[in-house]
This record gives sequence, C-alpha cells and structure tokens, in this order.
Amino acid sequence: MKSKPKTAAAGPKKTAAAPAKKTAAKSRAKVAPKVAPRPASAARRKKVPSLLAGTRPRASEPPASEPPPSVQLGEASPPRIEETGSRVSTTDRASSPQVVAQMRELEAQLDRLIERASHPDLSELDEEDVDEAPAPAPAPAPEVRARAPEEEEPAPLSELPVPSGPGREPLSIPYARPSGPLPSQVAPVSERAVFDTARELLSTDFYLRKWGRLAMRNRSEEVDDFGYDPIYDEKVRPALDFLYTKYFRIEASGVDRIPAAGRCLLVANHSGTVPLDGVMIKTAVRREHPAHRHVRWLTEDFIYHFPYLGGAMNRLGAVRACQENAERLLANDELVAVFPEGVKGIGKLFAQRYRLQRFGRGGFIKLGLRTSTPIVPVAVVGAEETNPLLFRIEHLAKIVGLPYVPVTPTFPLLGPAGLLPAPTKWKMIFGEPIDFSSYGPEAADDELLVGKLAERVRANIQGMLDREIGSRKSVFFG
Amino acid sequence: MVLPKRNSSRPPSSEGLRRSRSGGRVVAVTGASSFLGNNLVGLLEEDPTVSRVVAVDVRPPLTGARKTRYYEVDFTQPTAEARLSEIFSAESVETLVHLAFLASPSHKSALAHELESVGTRHVLFAARHADIRKVVMWSQTWLYGANPSNPNFLTEKHPLRADPTEPFFGDKLEAEVEMNRFAKTPRTVATTLRTAPILGPTVNNTVTRYLARRVVPMMMGFDPLVQFVHEVDAIAAFKLAIDRDCPGVFNIVGDGVLPLSTVVKLAGRLAVPVPHPIARSFTGALWLAQLVDGPSAFLPYLRFLCVADGAKAKAEMGFRPAYTTREAVLDYTSAQRLRDVKLLQENAA
Repeated sequence: MKSKPKTAAAGPKKTAAAPAKKTAAKSRAKVAPKVAPRPASAARRKKVPSLLAGTRPRASEPPASEPPPSVQLGEASPPRIEETGSRVSTTDRASSPQVVAQMRELEAQLDRLIERASHPDLSELDEEDVDEAPAPAPAPAPEVRARAPEEEEPAPLSELPVPSGPGREPLSIPYARPSGPLPSQVAPVSERAVFDTARELLSTDFYLRKWGRLAMRNRSEEVDDFGYDPIYDEKVRPALDFLYTKYFRIEASGVDRIPAAGRCLLVANHSGTVPLDGVMIKTAVRREHPAHRHVRWLTEDFIYHFPYLGGAMNRLGAVRACQENAERLLANDELVAVFPEGVKGIGKLFAQRYRLQRFGRGGFIKLGLRTSTPIVPVAVVGAEETNPLLFRIEHLAKIVGLPYVPVTPTFPLLGPAGLLPAPTKWKMIFGEPIDFSSYGPEAADDELLVGKLAERVRANIQGMLDREIGSRKSVFFG
Repeated sequence: MVLPKRNSSRPPSSEGLRRSRSGGRVVAVTGASSFLGNNLVGLLEEDPTVSRVVAVDVRPPLTGARKTRYYEVDFTQPTAEARLSEIFSAESVETLVHLAFLASPSHKSALAHELESVGTRHVLFAARHADIRKVVMWSQTWLYGANPSNPNFLTEKHPLRADPTEPFFGDKLEAEVEMNRFAKTPRTVATTLRTAPILGPTVNNTVTRYLARRVVPMMMGFDPLVQFVHEVDAIAAFKLAIDRDCPGVFNIVGDGVLPLSTVVKLAGRLAVPVPHPIARSFTGALWLAQLVDGPSAFLPYLRFLCVADGAKAKAEMGFRPAYTTREAVLDYTSAQRLRDVKLLQENAA
C-alpha cells in the first residue's frame, strides 16, 4: 500500500513552484507515510488515461485522432484543458515565470521517475502495483500545451478536501492492471518494459539536461530583438571595466551632452585593426553618463562572416549596420553609435591615423533626418595607435571572408597574440549635439544636402580630433 | 462570423452564388492530410460559418468529419488541373487553402518538383477556372535565405534569396512566382503566409528532428539568432486568413528571437560545433546516404540570420502570436522529453 501515499506526495510537491529536487527525492521514503492528504482531484485522475494512451494503443482515449492544437485556436471553442481537467483555463499567454514553473514541475516529475528506476527494491515494487508506474510523469501532450492553468492548479489542489472513498476508486482505475487476461491482449508493451526503457534513456538524458542547465548559467534565456544578452553583458563587464580603467585609462569628457532619454545618434571615428572603440564607447556611457544609458553600436558586416566574433558582439549589444536595423533601433528610442567610416576606418594605415575617411554615402545623416534624431559627434583619441597597421593584404583576405588581412609590427609575426592592442592612453570627447530636425524628414532624399551635412559632421569630429592630438604629449601617457 | 464585408472596394463578384445552399462558406484545403491541413480541417469542422470542407490530398485527413468531403487528387498527374477545376466548380468553393508543400526536404526531387512547383500551377489555374474568390497559400520565411547581409528583421518586401538550386527552396520559390502571377487576377484575394519554422509539441518537421537529436550539430563559431512560430499560432494565422480578406504576403512569426545555441540548450541537447567548411563537404555526402535530415543548402541557416518581421501581419491581419519563440521552444521541449523516454508516442498527424 505504499503506492497511495506516494502518489499523494506527488501532488503537494507539484504545488511548490520549484521543489528542491534532490531533497524531495531523498526524503521521498520519509515523506511518503507522513503525507496524508491525497489531492486526487478530478484533474489528476483524468490526466492519466491520456498518458496511458501513449503506451497502450487501444486505451480508452485515442490520442492521435484529434488534432490537439486546434483546441486553443477557436475564439469560441473551449480550450482542451476543459476536457482533461476541471480547471478553468485562460490560456492566453503565460508569462515566462509560469513557463519556468511548469518546466520545473515537469523536471521534478522526471526526477522522481529516475529515483524510482535507480532503486532496485522499488522496481520490485512495480510488479506488485504497477498501477503506480505511470504516475510520476503525468504530463501528456495536452497538458503541456495548456500552460497557464498549471499555475492555477496549486491553490485549488491544496484547498481541496481529502477525497473520500469514492474519490479514491477512480484514481486507480486507469492504471490498474485488471486481474483478467486483458492487459496482455490490450497492451503489447507492458508498463514494465516502458519503465525499463525510461530508466535506460533517462539516465543519459538526465545528465545531458543537467549539462544544458549548467550551460545556461552564462546567458539569458531571452534576448532582445537584436540579440543583446544582459547576463552575458554582466559577465563580461569586469573585463571591459578593466580595459576601460586600467588598460586604456580612458578619460571621457562631455558624456552628459548625450540626452538622458530618447533616441540619439553617436557618430565617432573608427579605428584600430581590432575595433574596440564600439565596446569602449558603450562602457564609457554606461559608467560616466548620469542615466547610465545603454549604447547599441552598429558594426560592419564582416564580423558576421567571421567565426565567434559576430555572436559575442551581438550579445554585448552590437547590431549589424544597415538602414533597417538602425531605423528599428531609433524607433525604439535607443542610443545608437555609428562609425560612418566603416571598414575603411578600421583599415586606415598608421600613416593616415586620425585622418577621417569618407563618411560613406551619408547614411547616418539620412537616418538622422528621417527619424529627426539629434547627432552627438564623438572623437576617440588613442585607439588609432593600438594596432598600428603597416599593410593590408586584400586578395588573401577574400578567402577568409575578411575585408583585409592586417599586417602590424606584431601581428603575423607573433601569431594571434600579436593582435593584442597596445596599452595606449585613450580620450573620448563627446561634442555638442547637432540637431538637423529643422530640415524635416523629406530632406533625407536630397543627396546634395545629405552630403553637405555629412561633411559638416565629419569636419566637426576632425576638429575635435586635431585639437586633442595637438595637446597630447605622449601616446601612452596622454 | 459572416463573410467579410470589408472587401467593398472590389466588385461583389459571385459571392452569393458561392455560398452553398445551407448558407455557409465552402473552403477547400489542398494537402489536407499534412500537419497544417489536418489541423485546419479540424478547425473548419468546428466553425459554424463553414458549411463544407473540401479536402484534397492523396490521403484522407484524419480530422475530417461531417462537413468534410475528401477527394483524392494526385498533383503529380497531368490530369490534376482538370480534375481540380471540376471539383472546385462542383463544390462551388469560395476559399482555397493551398498547403500541398513538403515540410522537409525530400530525396525524390522530381516528385517534389511536380508536387510543389507544377502542383501549385495546377491548383492556381484550376482556381482561376473555377472562379475561386480567395486563395491562401503556405510559404516559409526560409525562402528569404540566410545571409550575413540580411537586416535583423526581413520585411515582406525583401527579395527571396534562398538557394534556388536546392529543390526544397527552388520549388517553393517557383510556387511563389506562380502565386504572384495569380494575385494579379481581378476580383481575387491572394494571401501568402510565410511562416517561420514551425515548432510545437505535435508537429514533425526538419526543425523538430534537428532538435530531437541527442547531439545537435552547430557551425563552429556561428550562433545566429533564430525565430520560430508555435504550431498553434501558425494554424491560427491560416484560420485568420480564411476568415478575413487580407490580400498580400505576410510573415507569420513568433515574437522574439533566440541565439541558436540557447535554443539547443533549452531543448536540453548537446551542441557539437563543426567547422563549416568540413560540414559543407560532408553534409552533401551524408544527405545522399540519407543519414542527415537536410542537404548542405540548409547549413547557412545555422550560420547566418534569417529572421522575419511580423509587424505587417500584426497590423493588417490582426495576427497576435500566443507564443513567443522561447515559449514555442519550451513547449516543444516538454513534449519531446516525453517522446525521448517513450512516454509519449508520436501523433499520427
């Protein structure tokens, strides 16, 4: 008669949002006798046949005949859960914690199954009362589908009075192996066999799942539209802070010229064979700005051709540079950093440092005009000496998918370590915001005007750069 | 729900005649025994405004009941067009839902071509013959192609850049071209629903099989953002397109995106990074040996972005996905785990 309290234990455990699995499993033997109330609600009782339907082809409820998804669709038709349980379902849209709770619950049930499987004495017990075997995993497809009701379950369950005699009878019916010859005829696969398979498979699956959970610790389960991952960002933050404060000893001035809220375009000079300026501008604004705004910066396409770089940059907040993406970001009132020089900026030879290249075709001006976004020019000094570029090898690079293969004093010579940036002293100057909104959004189609405005911004940044370089005494000490 | 009246700009055509005697709508579904077809037939059975469902396929739909009339038509036969127009005229079909597409790549590429590309031609010609008022066609966002130069969210205006040499995409691209041609027919509503990869507890397609592997191959160093639509939402979108008149192309996608690695981890699988030059050369051979689920034309989807923007469907169709991408993955996973330990058996659908 162990089985009855045990199934009972499953009930209350379900009510806890996330039961401590290990302890639950360990103390199961102890708990079993203690837990008297048996919340054998109608819901629970009815769930079982549909589970069995999976193992017994001719069980009372054929699972395949009905298309489960059709249930949730019709505005009028009642959700399927009405059939399987007496709960009211409002399956509109479960928020993520609810889903998490459900996953946990499912996991706990599987854990119980494993626990059973690993205990030889318990598996003997199966032969006595097999009726219990399917109980630990009562999560058939229909139940899985209707997620929202799961959260409503605990309250009614705990409030339910302990069912009396008649309530117990139906519970055992669905899985009871009748004394007659029926099961051998009806079920080609006995529960015992299913159980053996479950034990085998779960043992490997269990660890794989644990592995997966472990792997999730470094990342968020949800990212934003462009793949920004807050948890990953949090993990990398100390490294970026180290680069910012200790390595490059960045001095940022005028950060408060960035508006505290609303869309804004930061336009900066691009540099460094390994472009770190995007990340550093982001770090600067996060650290120094009164509102600690989060900068999204637009990067060149080539990092997405290149292994590892694209994924990591995306998670930190980089977005592939294209008109659609930028418009979408600005429409969300984000702070967007752009490097209009693009690849030409990164590929500046050492001799050309701090000489701004052509500002594309003025895409950022069009963007600013169309969305009436203020533009804040940014000059980054020091970054252009981190990896002094001597030559570019272009034809070789086509094979690798890069715009060019850099040749620096250290790079091909010292291997990948040669790409480490030199610890130069950086300065970041955020200029006065430039507002082009007086031209109106139609001006974006006026190529001449766009070119003129782009040139004005370019001259502005060039001026800031020249001023700063003129007053700089040392590349490494500022 | 009565026939939508918002279509007032168009001439009323023969809407009155198109109704059957009992006053409901007549909806024809091709590919009725596919996953989408089966569920859609079941849904239309429950809809009181639909008087008859004309199911066309080579197998009868499992969900067909009182209202459903099943016709066995093989699109790969040259007589399919005449047969279809006969059926459509006899049943006075008002709305046609064209779902006869392969959900996963097939080795029988000649047959697939006949079914998808030529079959669509047959269906649309027959629709024109039978003067069908509305055609809803299934397509996939995969046709945009995975490309590093894609914007993060592809709108419906974006050109379809999937690899046309791969039959799985090429045939569907041709079907879209046919549909574009059909859309120019006066007095018709032509709706194309491009669904993101469909994921859910009961659906079985390339993506679910990819995630059902114990060990899931990924391209080393590439972790694209991916997007799914839950099966329930996909079916709901088709129902919506049947109930309302929304001419045009719509992306049917779930909200939100996830990095592929996160999807694999949420599914509780082990990701194995494979360098993509190696993968490309081996996948072709493995595909020919029928050891993998897809040819190497699918590999770019493991490397680059192919995420569509569902804003148009939201604004014009009123489509609101009930599941986000992440929720769809979790829903699929919870069913797949039971399937893994043989506690849940595959639905026949």
